[in-house]
Amino acid sequence: MRRAFDVALVGAAAIALAFLLFPLLALFLRVSPGVLVAQLKSEVALDALWVSLKTGLIAHAFVLTLGTPAAYLLGTREFRGRALVVAALEVPLVLPPAVAGIALLAAFGRRGLLGGSFEALGISIPFTQVAVVMAVAFVASPFYIRQGIAAFAAVDRTLLDASRTLGVTPARTFWRVALPLAAGGLGAGSALAWARGTGEFGATIMFAGSFQGETQTLPLAIYAQLDQERNVAIAIGALLVLVSVAVLVAVKALPSWTTFVSPSPTRSAPSGSS
Amino acid sequence: MRVVVGLAVLALVACGGGGDHDALTIYAAASLTEVFRQLEPGARFNFAGSDELAAQLREGAKADLYAAASPKYPAELYADGLIERPVVFATNRLVLIVPTENAAGIDSVDDLHRNGVKLVLGAEGVPIGDYTRTVLENLGRSDVLEQVVSDEDDVKGVVGKVALGEADAGFVYATDVKPVADDVRAIELPAEAQAVVRYPIAVLAEADHRDEADRFLERLVGQEGRHALRDAGFGVP
Repeated sequence: MRRAFDVALVGAAAIALAFLLFPLLALFLRVSPGVLVAQLKSEVALDALWVSLKTGLIAHAFVLTLGTPAAYLLGTREFRGRALVVAALEVPLVLPPAVAGIALLAAFGRRGLLGGSFEALGISIPFTQVAVVMAVAFVASPFYIRQGIAAFAAVDRTLLDASRTLGVTPARTFWRVALPLAAGGLGAGSALAWARGTGEFGATIMFAGSFQGETQTLPLAIYAQLDQERNVAIAIGALLVLVSVAVLVAVKALPSWTTFVSPSPTRSAPSGSS
Repeated sequence: MRVVVGLAVLALVACGGGGDHDALTIYAAASLTEVFRQLEPGARFNFAGSDELAAQLREGAKADLYAAASPKYPAELYADGLIERPVVFATNRLVLIVPTENAAGIDSVDDLHRNGVKLVLGAEGVPIGDYTRTVLENLGRSDVLEQVVSDEDDVKGVVGKVALGEADAGFVYATDVKPVADDVRAIELPAEAQAVVRYPIAVLAEADHRDEADRFLERLVGQEGRHALRDAGFGVP
């Protein structure tokens, strides 16, 4: 009986594994590696790579600079409505990307709620790289904030209290104690947010359109090339698989990195206070 | 294990035999959506860019009929033996559309080159995109390509972005205007600059519903089809 159960478990796991990995392997097996590399040098692929990198980095900078203090507040302070705020921040996490796209249009599109005010200032967001950055930040930031809240909440409160009773300012406590101690979790959240942002498709195509070298990110290029230059689409897909694997490896490696640096938090902490 | 196999079988049966699997399956260019739905309400449809549909058929998608907005992809599929000889059953023309409020003040193609005009086109390689570039070339106005802010993957993408008012103008088929008549205004293009837009249809070489496909073809090129096509703004050969 026990044996049969074990066989069933292994069988189910094997099927699940094969189902999940076979399509990814197929991407690499369908076209020879030489062709893959050559296709990545095509103009479409290079343009998309540049757009993805640029918008991704800018979006990520916003996610980190706004998300980190938000996560610190929510992870270390108790206040009325905190649970509600945390839940609200997680909504985009479970939102279908197409909904994110139409929502961004409803808010920032020309006829959107704020669109008119922006137009009056001579700013038009849709179809620009700003729109790509916004779409990416919208879908990616909850991943970082969520992980960040957990990371700051896990920091030993007595250490923060000790720092304060020793007369260190709250800002300095944040920089020199909380941030280094939460670095592992924040790093993992940052990597997940980056991965989600790189894969953004639905919100981008609706809100930013698709224009090579301007708003066409890697996933949009895959879609556009699917019926034009199939091998370019496959090559970009294979590249994104490699990036995803790299992100995953980084996330898995981070916790050990934290325990390594946490004994001397001050050394890796940025100097000065805000 | 048995549970998994059982589940898999169940899933296959559920998805495979979903009642309408036995219906005529038609892959058609997005611009044919309204007419085809009206002509054959019981069929299974896949409306998308003609190029995308061709790619899906090459990947082994099961269909009985393929109707495209350009002879290019049917010709390629025919050459490879995937479909039978295509027949042209309709023609179309391009129009310039602008949002009803027309904030950019566009009244003709000659207004498009102005700074700040946001123009949305079909991508190159997508029929509407290629036709648009032909028309602009015929008009000697390829310079307006510099105003393009998005290359859409099918004509519905162009219609949607203009109808939403996000784009100032776009080129679409004349037949795309009717469903969004409240949101856009169509501007006719000079006849001599028009691209020749032909719609071929063909039965798939491996069609499962050959008889129904033939009957649909007969109706399409007969009185009923010609009437419906004209009503929707198509030309008939």
